[in-house]
Amino acid sequence: MRESSYKVLPGPEGYLPPAAATMGVMLPDPGQAIMEGESVDRDTALRAAALKLIEARNPVFFPGPLILWDWKPGVAEKATALKELAEAVGAKMIPMPDYRPKYPMINPAIEVNPNHPNLTIWHNKIDVCLFIGVHCHYANLALKIIRGGTDCYTIAVCAEAGHEEAMISLRDAGLCELQRLRELVIELKGGKNQ
Amino acid sequence: MKTGMLKISPGFEEIMPPEYRELVDNGPYGKDYGIGDLGSYKELLEEHPLCAGCGLALSLRLTLASLPMPEDTVIVGSTGCSALAFPQVALHNIHSLFGNQNAVASGLKRALKLRFPEKEKDVVVIAGDGATADIGLDMVMQSWLRREKITTIMLDNEAYANTGGQESGMSMQGAVLNMAPTGKKFPKLSLPEIAHTCGCAYVAAASPAKPKQLAKVVRRAILVAREIGPTYVQLYSPCPTNYKFNPKETVSLIKQREKDGLYQSKEYISQEAQAFLESIEVKK
Amino acid sequence: MIDQKIVDPDYLLFEAPRTSEYITGSEAVREAIKRANVDMAIAYPITPQSESMHLVGDIYAQGYVKEYFRGENEFAVMSSVAGASMAGVRVFTATGGPGTMRAFEVFPTWAGARLPIVCAFMTRGINSPLTIQPDTIEMAYLLETGILMLHAENSQDLHDMLLMAFMVAEKTDVHIPVGVFADGFFVTHTRDKVNMLPEDCKLPSYDPYTSPVPVMDMENVPVRQMRDPFVMKSNFISYAAHASWQQEIDAAAERSRKYLNHYLGGLIDVEHEDADIFIVTSGTAVSQSREAIATAREEGINVGLVKIKSIRPFPGEEIRALASRSKGIIVPEFNRVGWLAKEICSVIDEPRKVVRGPRVFGGMTMPPELILAEIRRINQ
Repeated sequence: MRESSYKVLPGPEGYLPPAAATMGVMLPDPGQAIMEGESVDRDTALRAAALKLIEARNPVFFPGPLILWDWKPGVAEKATALKELAEAVGAKMIPMPDYRPKYPMINPAIEVNPNHPNLTIWHNKIDVCLFIGVHCHYANLALKIIRGGTDCYTIAVCAEAGHEEAMISLRDAGLCELQRLRELVIELKGGKNQ
Repeated sequence: MKTGMLKISPGFEEIMPPEYRELVDNGPYGKDYGIGDLGSYKELLEEHPLCAGCGLALSLRLTLASLPMPEDTVIVGSTGCSALAFPQVALHNIHSLFGNQNAVASGLKRALKLRFPEKEKDVVVIAGDGATADIGLDMVMQSWLRREKITTIMLDNEAYANTGGQESGMSMQGAVLNMAPTGKKFPKLSLPEIAHTCGCAYVAAASPAKPKQLAKVVRRAILVAREIGPTYVQLYSPCPTNYKFNPKETVSLIKQREKDGLYQSKEYISQEAQAFLESIEVKK
Repeated sequence: MIDQKIVDPDYLLFEAPRTSEYITGSEAVREAIKRANVDMAIAYPITPQSESMHLVGDIYAQGYVKEYFRGENEFAVMSSVAGASMAGVRVFTATGGPGTMRAFEVFPTWAGARLPIVCAFMTRGINSPLTIQPDTIEMAYLLETGILMLHAENSQDLHDMLLMAFMVAEKTDVHIPVGVFADGFFVTHTRDKVNMLPEDCKLPSYDPYTSPVPVMDMENVPVRQMRDPFVMKSNFISYAAHASWQQEIDAAAERSRKYLNHYLGGLIDVEHEDADIFIVTSGTAVSQSREAIATAREEGINVGLVKIKSIRPFPGEEIRALASRSKGIIVPEFNRVGWLAKEICSVIDEPRKVVRGPRVFGGMTMPPELILAEIRRINQ
């Protein structure tokens, strides 16, 4: 692709930013992750994500329906690991319970919606957010709107192929990645304190 | 829905918005609730944007409260006023296009039967009169002719309401509406009779002015569709916005129409459906 | 019905032993679908597609496809296919020409709703006046529907592309429909040698829970879920949501390149890469061009061939690179409007190099002499 130099960075990028994939940004291969539009190894991405989270003024996790509901085996363990990660980071959780255009409006203090995630980010002054458990289509929808209208740094912990719309995205991520991220957060925080 | 599927993950109970916590603690899934229980449990329909006094909204609310098995019901809607309410309904539901609802439902029902051969999945079409009797009539009738095991419910407000009050095939003859500036020139379509002729095992016309009757026919229609074949329910649901009457008079207007002989409730039951209904209604 | 075992798609497509048979394009559809582990197929007759879906009906009767019926018209069939796909099954249908046009409103909604439907299009002319003859004009209309478009040169392509189509369509990061196009009659009704796969093998089944959107079965979350809700309030938030949604469909098509490159071995095939002049085309026009090229090369003209296998996504960069070092590009097409020439002109640096033709339509065959004449003209 001609435009492969495109960087996926915090915005606000403008009125209608392009989809990163159409600018030549490719999803990572299995075992890899993606950072600001470039493929990196999984551990580099995990470490960078941990650092972003602990350096954030107001990091917030956006758990989606796939992790908010204990709907199939394995979810409860991931939910617990996510909770422990949030505690280690000192991050707040604001859920994305569904994807509907909500009537009459959402309360941005307590929820986030893929159709206008910027409202929640502005309202809560979030500088780093983490997506998890959101269906891929809606995650990309939201991540792009965030890039367009806010300066929030976005991290996606994806159980499928990952998100080029996020500034850092893991792929095929599950319990083990959440636990590793928590270890790194604790390690990096400890390092800072010394 | 697998038993226990709708359970909040450990540690997330506090952050889940209240309308979901209520749905888990006091929702209708797996319960045998009916319209008599309205007000005592968390309904499927969340806040919606339909007009004050909307007959359709009332019919929809009563219909959703009458579903025999909401935890395994998938709804197919169509473009129109009701589609504005459906994003707020706590059931999987589909808006595809204007008029193709029965074709979508045919594919959906057969596919669900393939994936869940041992389990009942009720597919219910809920659409307006324009979608059902005009633009989608072909696909509505074809689904009946093919004997698809789906329930078709028409929310009949006698107009294209969402596009601004145009004449539909279900408007009364003489009604002055947009696109009928000198009054409609032909009578209201008799879809219940057509449904009966097309092989629907159960057909009914009802209205929200008699909620118990509405609940009974919706339930019967869904149970018959599950066991026997296609069913049709037509719900007269007047529109105060486009017919320009006082929103608080929706129900009294239905009653007046009935008194004047311009609306009547109906029920056609095939012999097979009759035998089936007797077997389950006696049991109960 | 022969007992079939599920095999790895790469094994099936690249390694499994093949046996050669002399069959029609319609029969090649049957053979592909037999090995595609399709749950459901919905049929509606239209020449020159009808035979394909008859034959899919036959393998339904034998047990290779689990559900099958005839719908009432193409708009309804494409809607029923959408309903089945939203319920989480692998579904197949086919149409062509006027049938494509009748169904048209549904096609962009397939992509918008992220449905991995595979549809074969047996291309045919469009009225008026009425014609049943081959013509690729319907492809011009489908270019911007969000459907991925593969164009088969012959029955072998048709067979292989159908199997690949399911695998690409169902990737979580793609998950949009794939249309496999074959020129009506020229491919569907003529016999050709097809290297077929073992009958006792089939593709892995579709897992609907890897879909990028919830499946409509009331067995997954969230339960308060409409496919697909209106985003139509008159405010910037609604516009941005709708715009971002459309961009995500474009992004999904871009992501398919990686998978298509893997399965197809590139979006284009090039013969005589060092040529001065290229014929760039797709479908059966490729076969006609190959004949013309053989004659021209005997005359000492250094002309090469670019066979475009994927129209959407379009191999823009690949063609641009070849065009930059050639002195002329000839685009033979089986339609009046020259949609492929327009596509090529839109991606290369010097569109004046492009000869927008020769074109035949209305059912005509393309005499290789027409192409040869253009090659000779450019060579002078």
